[in-house]
Amino acid sequence: MNQLTSPPPESIQVSKSVGFWKEAWSRFRRRKMAMTAFYFVCFLAVVALLAPAIAGTKPIVCKYKGHLYFPAMGYFEPTWENPIFQKDRFRKRYPKNLKEKDPDSWAVWPLVYQDPYRRIREDEMPGQPGNPARDEGTPNRYNIFGTDTRGVDVFAQIVHGTTIALLVGFVSMGIASVIGITLGSLAGFLGGWTDMVISRTIEVVMCVPTLVLILALIAIIDRPTIWHVMAVIGLTGWTGIARLTRAEFLKLKQTEFVSAARALGYKPLRIVFRHILPNAMAPVLVPISFGVASAILIEASLSFLGFGTPPPNPSWGTLLQTARNNLDMWWMTFFPGTAIFLAVLAYNLIGEGLQHATDPRLRSG
Amino acid sequence: MLNYTIRRLLIGALTLVLITFIIFALIRNMPGDPMMMDLALVDPSKAISPLEYERMKKSYGLDKPWPQAYVQWLGNLAQGDLGRSLSWKKPVTTVIGQHVAPTLILSISSLLLSYLISIPLGLTASVRIGKTDERVMSGFLYALYSFPSFVAALFLQIYLSVKLGWFPLYGMTTTETYDSMDALGQAKDIMMHAVMPIICYTYVSLAYYTRFINANMQEVIRQDYIRTAKSKGVGPVSIVLHHAFRNTLIPLVTLIGLTLPGLLGGSVIIERIFQWPGMGQLYFMALTSRDYPLIMGLTLMFAILTLAGQLLADILYAVVDPRIRLH
Repeated sequence: MNQLTSPPPESIQVSKSVGFWKEAWSRFRRRKMAMTAFYFVCFLAVVALLAPAIAGTKPIVCKYKGHLYFPAMGYFEPTWENPIFQKDRFRKRYPKNLKEKDPDSWAVWPLVYQDPYRRIREDEMPGQPGNPARDEGTPNRYNIFGTDTRGVDVFAQIVHGTTIALLVGFVSMGIASVIGITLGSLAGFLGGWTDMVISRTIEVVMCVPTLVLILALIAIIDRPTIWHVMAVIGLTGWTGIARLTRAEFLKLKQTEFVSAARALGYKPLRIVFRHILPNAMAPVLVPISFGVASAILIEASLSFLGFGTPPPNPSWGTLLQTARNNLDMWWMTFFPGTAIFLAVLAYNLIGEGLQHATDPRLRSG
Repeated sequence: MLNYTIRRLLIGALTLVLITFIIFALIRNMPGDPMMMDLALVDPSKAISPLEYERMKKSYGLDKPWPQAYVQWLGNLAQGDLGRSLSWKKPVTTVIGQHVAPTLILSISSLLLSYLISIPLGLTASVRIGKTDERVMSGFLYALYSFPSFVAALFLQIYLSVKLGWFPLYGMTTTETYDSMDALGQAKDIMMHAVMPIICYTYVSLAYYTRFINANMQEVIRQDYIRTAKSKGVGPVSIVLHHAFRNTLIPLVTLIGLTLPGLLGGSVIIERIFQWPGMGQLYFMALTSRDYPLIMGLTLMFAILTLAGQLLADILYAVVDPRIRLH
């Protein structure tokens, strides 16, 4: 036997070193508070998606005259509610009309039969009393968070307001991140005059009180919708992100791997997108997460001042505004206030978790 | 250093011109104007004749296109004239002067209070780090930091004012009896009204400062000179106060510079809730009543304060730490 012939080469096990994001995620996961906060935000997202199934007056599924319908979708977009119910004059009162107009019909109702836009009247739903109005709506079996002065259920408004709270955070910070990262990278990478102009712009935006800038911008819009409000919050909230991105770019521009990429003759665009940006993303994520928290706060304060979400859209801030004029109705303050607090706390905790997971200087052990 | 300061001041002046220009353009393009806003608030049915409207427009100086008006505003500013407030019918400087004191009452008391409480808290936290009591305290402070101040204001109003009746619901003075009180009584009256807004101002910064001090202490306490002090047998109190805390004062000093605009600026929302006649409230009313000269005056003041605060922070940084050189 020829010993010299080498045995078939055993595949050498090269364990790929754990990537930065994977490691950051595993570090993030180890922080209990941050993970709890993360699950809470997921929970909010589920609540926002299932809002019509949690509280509403329209059946989730119903069989009517031989067809299946999903009227609850009308809460997301009015046109998604089948026009047949309008034609048959339901007038948004489903329980009675379904039985009267089609005795064979059946329906799956939301968990709580309450509407975020109107008061529930006596006998609308068999066995459920009408909502109390004015200051008599203390929390009870049918209105677990009480009712507001118009007799509209507070729980339903909070559940449906979750959508706005989440959207505001993500949409406005999405806009702010795009502006901030673009301007920050341009300033940091190009330097010179571009940097000078962008830095001055950042300074200008920072020197004007945010709330004033937002109020002035909203006043210019003829008929502000919630999307305008989000855009304005995003347009005023990018300075921190831009400054940080610029600083990161200035730092990373001097590193060896960027010099190497340059020496290899890579185009500037490739250097920016493939080499610098991925390395600059981690520190920038932190202010974005804190920014989501402050965006939620700003939207709530705007609604509270009467400049935010236009009625009748249910928003946590609008609820608080009503509460302000009815201080003896404690439930009007307590429940929406707690909701805002928890959402803000969750985003702050996630931000802190990200900070610890991505910043090597803060690693303990 | 002098060179640096002069250059910063020049850049600052340029920034100010830019800011005022942008805000001027913004507010002059907002729908509605002072005459309309004024009348709509008093009586919606009382329509004003077009002739009268033109006359008022001219007397307010609104008949010119806004770029021309801006140049004029800038020219007046160079002579130290900020114009007259349209809704208060007084010079802008006088109106601002009247509203500075109430805001300062709140902001200075809250600043002192938060430093007084947060320094001992932060030091305690840094000594007890990792122990149960520190974790509970830090967690509590963190929750406090995330607590929206306007929600807290409502809670305070419900509990301390409506339910317990300890403090007045809003306002700065008891309108009916204030004038008949002696100086001591007046001071007490204002204090009673100020308690709830001060709490709202303080608790957020309290949590912030405590975390800030704690974080800086963590950095310092790992230094070699602390170990040296320990090995020499210096007592724990002396180490924390003399060796460690002194060296965390540098970032704290710069923080003071950055709080400058907040001191005079007040908070729109807190002052709205408590009907406090301060700067935040004034800014809000100026915006809603389209009082152009007043908005411009306030914007200018805020911008100057922010820029001055940043400059002050940078200079203080170099003053307290001789290792830092400004270029």
